[in-house]
Amino acid sequence: MGFLYTIFAISAVYWAKDLKLKMNWWKWSISAVWFIFLSVTIAGGFTLIGENELRAGLYFLGVFGTVMIVSGVGLIQLIRSK
Amino acid sequence: MAKKDNAFDRRSFIKTLGLTGGILSLGGMAGAGLAAGKNKDSFTGYGRTAYGEDQFFNRKPFLVDKPTYEKVSKTRRIAYVENLFKRNGELYRLLYPRSNDAQKWSFEQGAEALPEPLKNYYQDNPGALDEFKKSMQKGREQRQNWKKYEKKYLLADAWSNAHASPIHGQGAFPHQPEGKPEDFDFKGVRKERLDFKSRKHASELIKKISHSFGASLVGIAKLKEEWVYQGYMRGVGKTDFEVPKHWKNVIVIAVPHEWDSLYANPTYGTSYDAYSRLRFIAGKLEVFIKEIGYAARSHVPPTSYEIAMPPVAIDAGLGEQGRHGVLITPELGANTRLAGITTNMPLEADKPIDVGIKEFCSKCKICAEECPSGAISFDNSPETIVRGYKRWEIDQDKCFTVWNSVATSHARGCRVCLAVCPYSRKNNWIHNIAREADPRDPTGVFSSALLGMQKKFFKYHGGQEYLPPPDGNNETFNEAPEWLRTEEWFDI
Repeated sequence: MGFLYTIFAISAVYWAKDLKLKMNWWKWSISAVWFIFLSVTIAGGFTLIGENELRAGLYFLGVFGTVMIVSGVGLIQLIRSK
Repeated sequence: MAKKDNAFDRRSFIKTLGLTGGILSLGGMAGAGLAAGKNKDSFTGYGRTAYGEDQFFNRKPFLVDKPTYEKVSKTRRIAYVENLFKRNGELYRLLYPRSNDAQKWSFEQGAEALPEPLKNYYQDNPGALDEFKKSMQKGREQRQNWKKYEKKYLLADAWSNAHASPIHGQGAFPHQPEGKPEDFDFKGVRKERLDFKSRKHASELIKKISHSFGASLVGIAKLKEEWVYQGYMRGVGKTDFEVPKHWKNVIVIAVPHEWDSLYANPTYGTSYDAYSRLRFIAGKLEVFIKEIGYAARSHVPPTSYEIAMPPVAIDAGLGEQGRHGVLITPELGANTRLAGITTNMPLEADKPIDVGIKEFCSKCKICAEECPSGAISFDNSPETIVRGYKRWEIDQDKCFTVWNSVATSHARGCRVCLAVCPYSRKNNWIHNIAREADPRDPTGVFSSALLGMQKKFFKYHGGQEYLPPPDGNNETFNEAPEWLRTEEWFDI
């Protein structure tokens, strides 16, 4: 998992340059926090599913997943700004 | 030109690899979450070893000098007829004497014709006698209806009976006391004993030994007189007695029910899995303590007690009392079953804790909403005064009527309040966030958010649905594990 996150982080730098995003330290920080929250949301939902709480897991993914998508759209707008 | 192509290729490769890695990492989180949810090590008390992370919650930040129960007036010891099982047992023996004696009392004669102290109790608690009569009627219906459900709940019934087998009869362990505690509790005590280095050493040792015997939680309290029953002593019979002088300290042990069966209450769960384990642990501790030279007496479920366990467990810092009257611990929630050992061992008592359970229960009310009997109070705060202490009222008699109503072979219990309690959660990271964050939030915002999620995300059937038709639909809080579902293994 650590390896996957590392190569994802390294590639993000290239993606940002090629997409001509003007990244700075706080944009990177917010993006990292967003991705951590996305990971936690997925892990949380599937933990509940794993412990036989299917309904709770799906609700968790649905509610927090929606929050992550909406905040992700906002994040894209933010990092595209100057 | 070739150099440029190579640079382009390397960049594309890293970008593709990174994007794939990002997607895979999210998939990995899903897999890790699923594994964490399924992991049996999260089943506190049912993990892979006796030395697992049982008492994993750090109580230090939450230690308080005074227990969280609220004393508002003069207290007194608990009369044995205030215990549902003792009281019902007395009534049952009057209705159906053990020998060929004639019936000694009938419902038509009313409470006035009952012997003391039953007469006094039922005159002070109007309605309780009618509820007992109703529970007996429901019990007859339950036994008649069992034929309809016998195949469906065959495994659950067999599993429960297997757990109950070491509890009753000649082979029961620990053995019932015989004679006065001043004799029985000293029976088999090693005459020459070594001195402990300190009380702290004694406490640490007994906790390690308790865990090695399988206790999930262990706490130690000084015994307060008001938690000792009055009017009945095992081995002696009905008697008013002073608290024996050698009952100085109580070692309180706790184990949970098997987690998946707990969530499948009332029809698939049982109390006997935890009860039988507690009896083995407490009985072994009793022997161990006597072997190192001190008096000991175990107090074990279902009914072999001279002390009321929940308040003693609160004194011992294991948890706090919930709305449903059951002890709630940080590790096990309401899935906490208790036993105790009274002893004259020189032990260092633990301090009680305050993790904000009363505040949470004030807001929650899920157990009251889901209780099939309506026995649990909806009051916003504890308002009923019981023997000098403020608490949420529990109608024991109504609760027992449901024991006699649910689709089990006999009055096997209900435990829905334990199962639906938001604190009754396994030991995995997502619930541990709640365990650690909630008591540290003085605003209560976090607990309100958690409660909101609890009520929206989890399915609650409503109290009546746990009853058999026509009142309900034999619902269980959660689906039964496949190893308790007869249809998974047999052609029915």
